[in-house]
Amino acid sequence: MSTAESKVSGKGTLTRSQRRRRNFYFFISPWLIGFILLTIVPLIFGFLISLTNYNGLNLFNLDFMGIKNYARAFQDPMVRFTFSRTLIWTGLNLPIWLILSLFLAILVNQKVHGIGIFRTVFYLPSIIPAVGLVWTWKVLLEKNYGLLNAMISVFRPGTAIGWLTDQAMYGVTAMAVWSGLGAGMIIFLAGMQNIPDELIEAAKIDGASTSRIFWYVILPMLTPVIFFQLILGLISALQMLTIPWLATTDGVIAVPPRGIHLYMIYIYEQIFSTQRFGYGMAILWLLIIIVFFLTYLIFRTQKSWVYSEVEG
Amino acid sequence: MSDKKLSRRDFMKMAGTVASGVVLAGCAKATEAPVASEAPPATQAPAPTAVPTKGPASGNVVVMHSIQQGELTQDMVTQFQAKYPVITIELVEVDLVRFFSMYAAGNPPDLVRVQAPSVPQYLARKMLYDLTPYFNASTVLKPNDLAPANMYYQATDPLHVGSGNIYGMCKDWSPDFTLFEYKKAFEDKNIPLPSTTEPMTYQKIYDLGMQLAAFDGDRITMFGFDTANGGAWTDRIWMNILAETGDFLYSEDYSKIVLSGSEKTQKVIQYFYDLVKNKLCAAGAIVPSPNSQGDDFDKGLVAQLQYGYWFSAMAETDVTTGQVLFIPAPTWTGVRRDPTMTATGMIMSAATKVPDAAWQVFQWYNGEEPAEARASSGWGVPALISWYPKMPNETPFQQQVQTVLKGELDLNSSPLQFNPYIGESTVSNAYMLYLEQAIAGSISFEEMLKNIEFDVNTAIDDGKAAIG
Repeated sequence: MSTAESKVSGKGTLTRSQRRRRNFYFFISPWLIGFILLTIVPLIFGFLISLTNYNGLNLFNLDFMGIKNYARAFQDPMVRFTFSRTLIWTGLNLPIWLILSLFLAILVNQKVHGIGIFRTVFYLPSIIPAVGLVWTWKVLLEKNYGLLNAMISVFRPGTAIGWLTDQAMYGVTAMAVWSGLGAGMIIFLAGMQNIPDELIEAAKIDGASTSRIFWYVILPMLTPVIFFQLILGLISALQMLTIPWLATTDGVIAVPPRGIHLYMIYIYEQIFSTQRFGYGMAILWLLIIIVFFLTYLIFRTQKSWVYSEVEG
Repeated sequence: MSDKKLSRRDFMKMAGTVASGVVLAGCAKATEAPVASEAPPATQAPAPTAVPTKGPASGNVVVMHSIQQGELTQDMVTQFQAKYPVITIELVEVDLVRFFSMYAAGNPPDLVRVQAPSVPQYLARKMLYDLTPYFNASTVLKPNDLAPANMYYQATDPLHVGSGNIYGMCKDWSPDFTLFEYKKAFEDKNIPLPSTTEPMTYQKIYDLGMQLAAFDGDRITMFGFDTANGGAWTDRIWMNILAETGDFLYSEDYSKIVLSGSEKTQKVIQYFYDLVKNKLCAAGAIVPSPNSQGDDFDKGLVAQLQYGYWFSAMAETDVTTGQVLFIPAPTWTGVRRDPTMTATGMIMSAATKVPDAAWQVFQWYNGEEPAEARASSGWGVPALISWYPKMPNETPFQQQVQTVLKGELDLNSSPLQFNPYIGESTVSNAYMLYLEQAIAGSISFEEMLKNIEFDVNTAIDDGKAAIG
């Protein structure tokens, strides 16, 4: 942009760059205001709270704790335990969700009659609210009266596997993956439909088999989408609260089975059950830092495996 | 004047600064709120509040109550406003997080639905309005007509609940340690039914539970002895048992929970541990049930259920009609006690700006049409002694319940002593957390007790520090 363009051309008249800037702020302002009020402000407020002994009722009588809450987190065995369970949860959920989402996307990318119906059906779980989803799955997975155990009992009478208790990691994984498949599928589908047909046609002319086309053409072209899904899935898995909480507690007893005692659940307990808002905010901020760090690490690996048409 | 333009980056920096300013300004404003005064030490009685003014009360009263459960509905509010047109009521669904938020904003609801365990904590924080002058002046809610369960709302200080100034009252109540027996479970096993006049011991109930429990492979088809809320309120049962012999779950100043250091307490907890270990009762994720214990009983899946009188209103279903026997609360040592363990009721916020109007709503809800409707519904013993005769007494089951209930009403002699420094679920959550590990064998029973003690005592220390 030339200097002349950026100067005011006349009194009361905006230059093109000034108009662009004004329009930019005008159009992003709804999002920006929401982001500031609903994200930045709570984050800062949460950080300030993490430096105090706020318990929900002593806002006017706070003690400044400095970094004591953070130091306490490093001594707290439940922080270590719940974080380790969260890593296991993430390690189990993320690959299953990515692979199944991709698999479904491949299926619904076929040019067959009525494929739209399948796309809709596969996407439906994503629009079911978490509460409805969990209650539906509870009917299936309940230990004493669940349908799944009833079916297994046909072959082994009296079966009562605790899908939501001792085996909760697997039962809740099934719920979470199922609920996220539709959204994952749609994004992979969009990515697949952006792959130029010429590439696939050229591979076919060269005699490549279907599997080789998938491994050497489609998958590399999908790596930007996989990267995007990986980042979002990682953040979502580390922050998972609603589904495991609803699936394994009953509103009266707010303690989930140890196997699915995730880090976010522990934060929730600290804040709302034990009324340690300050400490809860401190361990929440630790999670934010960890999420930033892991996201950064994945970004660092980007160049080595994510396809890009522009040389970085 | 500089001609430097505001870049997008500068704008983002500025936005962050403004956001910080908003937060800090919010904090500054909050310190000027009417409830900003420093809380007194927990042993100090809250300062007395204003006496009622004469003349008609008016204003808008914000009531945080259980709307979705139908305890206070918009229809009832409409009826109130027809009777008291100068007062408006704004209903807010009861929610602890929302309550904290409103309190933090310096604008708490005027009237709040609470349960007994919260009262000492709120007293310690000077959050409750002293309603004694209002009660003394009322012709509807007379102090000598208050049912004994209302003692949970009377205190000389947060550590001494049971008598003293009146800070609220229960909407209704139940002696909560009574038992509902499912006759069919007894008939199926050819076991004679327990007495309706003589209380059983806990040991006897346990022995019966072992005989009555039924399993199909790994599935539980009949729980032998279910307790209130599947373990969520177990510490309240411990407290009641210990109180039989004058013992206490906490040290005298509430600064410690005493489990491993008390043989008596250990025995009580061992009893409840064994109940879970033998799958006689539902217990959260350890021995799961998809329903509440009451729902399970209604489906014929529980042989013995320790619930209060309130449950008699729903104990008979298509499955259980004619099969339910209501019997007295059991004892541990032979000393009979049967207090309520919840005493759900209403308090007035110390920060209310419309105490007279709020009292009018309080008095209406607890002593006029809504209270009368509750009294005759059978969902609880009326909070006013003079209304006891309104309890339903028509069907054979209701008559049997009333016969037993008469003997229990006088056993509500002293309240359970809830700790003012911790939340109502702190002990039970710690118990459920470590119980799972103990049942699974990854820690011993003694380690479980020590872990609970550590968690609860840490919470008590935090609570004390927060009060100051």
